[in-house]
Amino acid sequence: MKASHAIPEPLDTSAEVETPEHVRFHHQLAGPARRALAWLIDLALRGLVMLFLLIIAGIAGVAAGTDLDGLTTGVMYLTYFVIEWGYYVFWETIWSGRTPGKRVMGLRVITDSGRPLQFLDALLRNLVRGADWLPIGYALGLVVMGRDKRFRRLGDMAAGTMVVAEQRHAVSDPLYIHPPPTAREVGSLPQRLPLSGDEIEALELFLRRAPKLHPARTEELAEIVAPVFAKRLGVRFRGDARRFLEVLYYRSRERTAQ
Amino acid sequence: MIPQDVFVAQRQPEWRELDMLLGQEKELYSHDGATISRIASLYRALCNDLVRCQGARYTPDLAGYLNGIAGRAHSALYGARPVRAFGLSNLLLREFPASLRKNWRFFLLATLLFVVPWIVGQVGTMTSPAFAKQVLPAQELEGMAKMYSHGFDEGRAAGVNAGMAGFYVQHNVGIAFRCFSTGILFGLGSVFFLIYNGLMIGTVTGWVWSAGYGHNILTFMCGHAPFELTAILIAGAAGIRMGYALIATGGRTRLGSLRGSAREIGALVLGAAVMLMIAACIEGFWSPSSLPPQVKWAASVVFTIGVTAFLLLGGRGMAPATLGSADAKGPSA
Repeated sequence: MKASHAIPEPLDTSAEVETPEHVRFHHQLAGPARRALAWLIDLALRGLVMLFLLIIAGIAGVAAGTDLDGLTTGVMYLTYFVIEWGYYVFWETIWSGRTPGKRVMGLRVITDSGRPLQFLDALLRNLVRGADWLPIGYALGLVVMGRDKRFRRLGDMAAGTMVVAEQRHAVSDPLYIHPPPTAREVGSLPQRLPLSGDEIEALELFLRRAPKLHPARTEELAEIVAPVFAKRLGVRFRGDARRFLEVLYYRSRERTAQ
Repeated sequence: MIPQDVFVAQRQPEWRELDMLLGQEKELYSHDGATISRIASLYRALCNDLVRCQGARYTPDLAGYLNGIAGRAHSALYGARPVRAFGLSNLLLREFPASLRKNWRFFLLATLLFVVPWIVGQVGTMTSPAFAKQVLPAQELEGMAKMYSHGFDEGRAAGVNAGMAGFYVQHNVGIAFRCFSTGILFGLGSVFFLIYNGLMIGTVTGWVWSAGYGHNILTFMCGHAPFELTAILIAGAAGIRMGYALIATGGRTRLGSLRGSAREIGALVLGAAVMLMIAACIEGFWSPSSLPPQVKWAASVVFTIGVTAFLLLGGRGMAPATLGSADAKGPSA
């Protein structure tokens, strides 16, 4: 077993975080498309709140006569100001980095070091939004995001934050080899397999994925790979390519399990 | 090394439990003590499992699954603390004025960048109307003059003017925040918007003055100006400070240098935002009211003294370490 190997920074949309427990794990970074959708949801919500208030104000205006018009408009503008500038800061502070839109899209803002963001972070990243918007429609922010390894817009850079996608993977089902390999099948393979860890891992991934593929496709893929392995091992296999790979995998595990 | 399936079978109940506890979408502090301890120990065990998984080269989907839970547990455990009113008020009442005094050079620069174009605009307009028409469309200038021609003897409540005031509140707040946010472009945006807005306001006041309503517009502005203009200057100063941190990095990376001053900048902007809120309320309801000019000017004097005293004296005697503690860990409140 290889205890640890120096992994170069992968060419991937993920950000590595090291915890105080000295565990490194990866956050999946959120790209512009998902963030734009979250923004649209938030925009719609803000619009709905304003519309709701306008209707209330309209009803109140009718009920009280037209005298209130000027005052009501003034209050509406004040409300608009608070919602426009306070919406993101409010939600991202009390929900540690999530707004309703981000929640729907499974996004969360965290700091560069992986901690949840707090009030000042939220304030900075959302006020600098004004610069990201320039000249129109987050054009500058989009360009900056495209050039940054962590998809940060200017506001994220100022506040030291990044937006990550909270993923929910499922654990794959246990891998059963059915029917269990017979002693004869296993015995037909050499005891020491000249396979690298990566190759065995690839084999395992394929076999775990097989139930989700169409049987014909599984067969097709297995028939590409099996002869390559067979040639390397200096054995001949007859018939079922997938079965051959399963037995091969079983044999490799049998060795490591001891 | 145990096979992956055995490992999963052994450990999965705990992962599921942690996933379920985190899935309740509650912030950590709203759980009871026993549950928090349970989440913490489940998280530590999961971290252990993640390392084993990486070491044993189990399949990437398992690593991804553990990674996902670890990420969410980490977010929940580290930092989810209730927003405390004390932290906020301390930031606003003490750190804000202290940080403004610390950055007085930037405030002075912002003031010059705003006031000089203002004077140019005002003097230029009063000496030659053609100058004003170069800056703003004639129609808009006429509208301004008309707006201030009545005075506020009857107040604005009767007309659409309160609505107009609301519009200007929104507009001015936008100006202030833009003065700050565009500072991230190496300070250039802040410099531009300070000069631009100084020139605009100078031209408008100059025009209204030339039209003979100078008294009206000044009486209108005197109430909220101590808050609004100061806030615009502070926001501009914070923007320039942000640009300066990007340029004069002191041997750090540009972003590292910016992170180092983020807390100071954040305190400045927070202060400016709150001052703008106060200004908005005054501008919406007090300034257009029918109170006699003497009252408005007296209030203006009180406001000016109050703001100046707060900015000069607020947060004095604060432990100096508090301000300097903006380190790589970034701001928090």
